[in-house]
Amino acid sequence: MEAVGVRVEGVSKRYSHKVKGEVYAARDVTLDVRPGEFVTMLGPSGCGKTTTLRIIAGFETPDAGRVVIGGRDVTHDLANQRNIGFVFQNYALFPHLSIGENVAYGLRVRNVAAAEIERRVREVLALVGLAGYEHQFSNQLSGGEQQRVALARAIVIRPQVLLFDEPLSNLDAKLRVAMRQEIRDLQRRLAITTVYVTHDQEEAMAVSDRIAVMNQGSIVQEGSADDLYYRPASAFVAQFIGRVNLLPARVEAASGGGGEVTVLGHRLAVAALPAAARAGDTVRLVLRPEAIAVRPAQDAGTLPQGTVAGRMFLGEKVEYLVRCGEMALQVVSYDARPGDLLAEGAPVGVDFKGPDIPVLPEERP
Amino acid sequence: MKIAQRLAGKASRLLAILAVPLACLAAAFPAAAADTVNVYSIWPENWARPMFQEFEKATGIKVNFVRFSSGEALARVIAEKNNPRVDVLFGGPVETHAAGIKEGIFEPYKPPSFAKLPARFKHPDGQWVAIADDPLVFMTNAKFLKENNLQPPASWNDLLHPAYKNMLQMADARTSGTAVTRIFSVLEVNGRDEAKAFEYMRKLRPNIQLYTKSGGGGTLPVGLGQAGGGIFFIVDALDTKAKGYDVVISFPKEGIGTAAEAIALIKGAKNPELGRKLIDWASSPAMQNTLAKHKINFLPAHPDVAVEPGLAAVIKDAKIFPIDADYAGANRKRMVERWIAEVLNP
Amino acid sequence: MASVAPAAGPARGLAWARQDPALSATVLVLWLLLGLFVVFPLAMLTARVFWDGGHFSVAGIGAILTDRHQVQAFWNSLLLATLVGLLGTLVGFVFAFTVARGGLPRWVVTAIDGAVLLPLISPPFTTAIAMVFSFGPRGLITYELLGLKGVTVYGMTSTLFSEALTYFPIAYLALRPILAAIDSNIEGMAMSLGASRMRVFRTVTLPLCIPGLANSFLLLFAASLADFATPLILAGNAFPVLPTQAFLQITGMFDLRGGAVLSLVLLVPAVAVFVLQRYWVSQRFYVTVTGKGAGQQPFESVAPWVRWALVGACLAVTIVIVYLYALLLYASLVMAFGANHAFTLRHYGVIFTEGLKAIKDTLLIAGFSMPLGGLYGVLLGYLVVRKVFPGRRTMEVVSMVNYALPGTIVGIAYLIAFNDPPVELAGTALVIVACYVFRYGPTGIRTTIALLQQIDRSLEEASQSLGAASGTTFRRVTLPLILPAFFAGLGVVFIRSMTAISATIFLVSISWTLITVKILENMTELSLGPAAAFSVLVIVIVFVVIGAISWGLRFFRAPGSEPVTSLLGG
Repeated sequence: MEAVGVRVEGVSKRYSHKVKGEVYAARDVTLDVRPGEFVTMLGPSGCGKTTTLRIIAGFETPDAGRVVIGGRDVTHDLANQRNIGFVFQNYALFPHLSIGENVAYGLRVRNVAAAEIERRVREVLALVGLAGYEHQFSNQLSGGEQQRVALARAIVIRPQVLLFDEPLSNLDAKLRVAMRQEIRDLQRRLAITTVYVTHDQEEAMAVSDRIAVMNQGSIVQEGSADDLYYRPASAFVAQFIGRVNLLPARVEAASGGGGEVTVLGHRLAVAALPAAARAGDTVRLVLRPEAIAVRPAQDAGTLPQGTVAGRMFLGEKVEYLVRCGEMALQVVSYDARPGDLLAEGAPVGVDFKGPDIPVLPEERP
Repeated sequence: MKIAQRLAGKASRLLAILAVPLACLAAAFPAAAADTVNVYSIWPENWARPMFQEFEKATGIKVNFVRFSSGEALARVIAEKNNPRVDVLFGGPVETHAAGIKEGIFEPYKPPSFAKLPARFKHPDGQWVAIADDPLVFMTNAKFLKENNLQPPASWNDLLHPAYKNMLQMADARTSGTAVTRIFSVLEVNGRDEAKAFEYMRKLRPNIQLYTKSGGGGTLPVGLGQAGGGIFFIVDALDTKAKGYDVVISFPKEGIGTAAEAIALIKGAKNPELGRKLIDWASSPAMQNTLAKHKINFLPAHPDVAVEPGLAAVIKDAKIFPIDADYAGANRKRMVERWIAEVLNP
Repeated sequence: MASVAPAAGPARGLAWARQDPALSATVLVLWLLLGLFVVFPLAMLTARVFWDGGHFSVAGIGAILTDRHQVQAFWNSLLLATLVGLLGTLVGFVFAFTVARGGLPRWVVTAIDGAVLLPLISPPFTTAIAMVFSFGPRGLITYELLGLKGVTVYGMTSTLFSEALTYFPIAYLALRPILAAIDSNIEGMAMSLGASRMRVFRTVTLPLCIPGLANSFLLLFAASLADFATPLILAGNAFPVLPTQAFLQITGMFDLRGGAVLSLVLLVPAVAVFVLQRYWVSQRFYVTVTGKGAGQQPFESVAPWVRWALVGACLAVTIVIVYLYALLLYASLVMAFGANHAFTLRHYGVIFTEGLKAIKDTLLIAGFSMPLGGLYGVLLGYLVVRKVFPGRRTMEVVSMVNYALPGTIVGIAYLIAFNDPPVELAGTALVIVACYVFRYGPTGIRTTIALLQQIDRSLEEASQSLGAASGTTFRRVTLPLILPAFFAGLGVVFIRSMTAISATIFLVSISWTLITVKILENMTELSLGPAAAFSVLVIVIVFVVIGAISWGLRFFRAPGSEPVTSLLGG
């Protein structure tokens, strides 16, 4: 089947809430998913990602906006008229049907011939690694197995679009990592346009071609994982994706996009300043923990001075909490050699691995 | 437009699904067949049924009937006046029928026996004719009498004896013709002096344990000794005795009323011809000769039918007077209401 | 998002109807049926009361409100219902507590359940008549055993006793799951903090049960308020109650208007109870009853002597029940109870010859009511919980109306509404079937709603996402999952169709009669034997059918779905 694109256009959905009154679950959401692309909507709970997904699926009708799948406006079509595959957080396996019947369900609804059904069910169960499970019932399966059945059931109907709603959140950590890889591989192999919802940024980065970060009902930034990580458009995105130190800095000079700033009393060259930044403005530096290096005080020279306030040795890396005056910085060091560990209370110099440090304008509350 | 059509299609399909069982249900009861006459019987089933079986044997006409107490039956016929569901009202004290006349629910009919029946057994216009006669009696529990050193009550005033306190059961005038006949009996023995009659009934009230819904309702408790005694139709009393309960039947020396049991054709009946045939048969010796055979202790209304010897012996010395149907019919409603207000809920 | 409802966008309007014709057609049909069999009769009843010769009038109500006797009946009804509510809840609680905390062997619990079930599935009058024979002036107990004389059985005490005995199982069934669901760790915790057993009971167990107790009180209050059969036999003339008065007003004097007024007066407390239960009690449950037991072994929360006292009390009540039913069976097997105790089967002969039509009619009517009522309950419950359409809440409330109202009101309303054109149904089986479906189907609605709330909505969405339309989804996913509710609905409708009388006594006709009406008929005549035989027959039929349904339930039960603990719950 030819992969199709999905376009969500200016979709809004309001709810009346007993305490808060009218609230927007989704507010003017626009999202384009190219044919065969894997897009993840990422955000904290209540950000509207699930609502948007359910609107794409047809479980909810938007108050405004439209949904286009493969060039066809499906906004007022029911879910059963959209040819989608949906994988639920709780799997939603029919408890009264066997695994085989669960998977066959969508085919039966489509009046596929019995022999064909049997063949395709067998095929797809083999595909998800559950060959021979046809006659089991869902309550006899482990969480991971149930998740595979849910996946098999969704893809056996050869949907135009595959939708996932937090499919891994009920699994334990190890299984989660394994399953996300499987989902990614399967999607690649079948080349089905996929929209995925999760609140787990690592999961999102692992599976997606592109991630749309959502907050308070709106998409705040879209891009590939590294885009979002290295070039966050807002403090929210910076904080939501990975760990980050947001350091206030003063613009000293701005020229052709780049410029110089003062941070912690230290002058630093940056490659890109916000377009509107002028000398004297306050901006914020997005410093990932691994973009900061700490050196023993004696090697620090003119670097800003600080003190190690905490240390956690994690084997492959060492995490420090470094106090610089008012600020507490998270620092990760990967190249520590035995004997190089800094003790708590040790004075250190803080080094920033410039110059491509992202800079955000000061956000007014 | 298309949507409306689809909607209508779905709705009609759903209605059809629901309609099928209902249609089956409708089909399940045969529409009243041509050879079936529909009857409300005031006679209890165990007497009405053998009579109707005899009728079918004699004429080939089936009787579809349901039993109601007289008040209920009358009430139903009145309620169904615009669309009668039965052809004949069978049995019940004649005052019930008399009360129905002014409601205009009957079709006058004079069966062949009409001419032979005494005047008190027929309405002059044939609104109803009698099929039997049924005197009231006092019935007491023999063990109760013995324990309290009482003689069987031989006067209305005997029932006022304190030994009977809370021990009498008799019918409730709201639902039972027996009770109405009883009230008119009290009126008659008091010379239709309403004040005196109601005075007596009020005095009797403390001795009443229960006013029962139907006329015979108290017979079993009296038979069992739950109650000491009561006033019943003879047919109920003798039936109790026949069942083996140790009860005594007696009559008051002042006299006691008897009510003709009547039959009437319903106005607008769906099967008037069959109804007339049932009336012809019931008012003639053809039916009344079979009463004794079935141990139904009504006195026959037709003069050509002899009273069964056992029954005749019971009533030999009793003073029994008929209730005047016109007087009863004209005053029934008022008396019942007065009874409710002054006797039932003093 | 459980607590938020979609805001109705003005633009959507009829979108729901356009999108899903099957849904809108079903909703339309259900509204038509509810309109015809719930709203219309009540409207006609009200009209009969307030509409006098073409103009509005309160004279009818006024006449009743000023009649000392009827006012007395009203207060009597309330008094009786209150006492039955208190006594029945007490007995029910003792039973529930003993079963939940007494540590009784399994077979004892089964035996108690069996005995307690009897009053629930019996035709009316059974305990009443057994009371008369036991406690009357010549009662087996009062006279033969105790030698008392001049005792009168008619009055409030015996009516109260009989009703409490008949209805306490409702309290038992309502309270048992609550007590079972209280985590006994909470009690253990309180005890570990130094509280005595009695104190734990007083300060922990009892307070947790209070909403359940209130609920059970209201259920019993409503049941007693609606009961017309027991007072008809036992209340006598000194203690008139409203349902009986309304019945006599109509059947005795065919004063439809008077009956309508009386039943409308009865409406006031009935509605009050319904509102209290729905909007007050149901919001105050601390304990969630999921159908799963708390799981852990109940700890020794009861002192041994208390346990024996409780078991003794339950045993005593159980023995009384068994005794009353044994008496009934005995009465059906002797020539003439109280006079001739020779063994005979003739009463059964009588009911299978003369009473055959009533048996056939009843079975036919129950047979038709059962599937229709079950389907109605499941369908309406499903729509109300799972679908969004205008007037959803209203539909739920309207569907509960006939269930919440005393049968006398419903019967009288039907009689008034369907006696004359335009909808002339009086005398048909349809009117009786409709009465049962709309009066007892709501039990299925409630069970369906409760069950659906435990079934995640995503199951239906999964089906929809796989391409199934709403009808298919309902048929292939939802229906199999709510089959327990369907069977529970079937069971209740069948039991009630076999045993109810308060509404349908107004609806029997020349063409259709019912066993229960026959029992009343036989009871008010002299024929105790056939009455007892009919009662035994009804109990046997109900037991067989319930057994079959339970068996079917086990057979159909989907792996993983919740078992329905009781066919009569709710």
